[in-house]
Amino acid sequence: MKQLEFTITDPLGIHARPAGQLCKAVGSMGSSVKIATDAKEADARRMMAVMGLGIKGGMTVKFTVDGASEEEDAQKLEATLREIGLI
Amino acid sequence: MFGKLKEKLGLHAALFEVAAPLAGEAVPLGAVDDPTFSEEILGKGAAVRPSEGRVVSPVDGKVELMFDTGHAVSLHSAEGADVLIHIGLDTVKLAGKYFTIHKGNGDAVKKGDLLIEFDLDAIRAEGYDPIVPVIICNSEAFASVEAHTGTTVAALGPLLTLQK
Repeated sequence: MKQLEFTITDPLGIHARPAGQLCKAVGSMGSSVKIATDAKEADARRMMAVMGLGIKGGMTVKFTVDGASEEEDAQKLEATLREIGLI
Repeated sequence: MFGKLKEKLGLHAALFEVAAPLAGEAVPLGAVDDPTFSEEILGKGAAVRPSEGRVVSPVDGKVELMFDTGHAVSLHSAEGADVLIHIGLDTVKLAGKYFTIHKGNGDAVKKGDLLIEFDLDAIRAEGYDPIVPVIICNSEAFASVEAHTGTTVAALGPLLTLQK
């Protein structure tokens, strides 16, 4: 299990578009990926649940990546977040 | 006899509609000038080029998430479809300006209940494309999502037919 923590730099936070892009990327990973704020946790594959976290710019978000390919998937996840412009 | 049997087994419910949430011109998602929607990253669906600024619920169900900016709302329909209605492109940047919210998270809704009102002319005047994609975010849970496009549609007119 790998845990990663990031501060969301996009002032608009994780709204519909970044949520969709994130879920699509996570959907192609072999690991289970959870995304959590201080208040709630969600399966990062479920776009509705990710949007429901109401993540705004400046918030700290924790990801938990679990599975046989977690090393690789954690790197992919970080690259995806940078690509989308969330971190 | 078989008809009644089918009804009892609920087979008649294999097809169901997600109506148009507002009036306008129904167009395919591919016509939306934003790859997030046109490449179906969020799911399958259709879009409406609106002729009015009043969004009603296209299904019976529950408000899953009302964005506090009022530019988008997601619903969970009684049949199990996750429906995202996104008003305009990049309109998250308006931070709620020109949008009025009429329902909140977790509210039960009936088809036709008012969800959001928006100032169509003002959003256009600020340079935003007001097109309204209607997306089935859990498209993979359905055998097919058929869009009825290429025509004008009234609010609650036919937009999407889903097959379980």
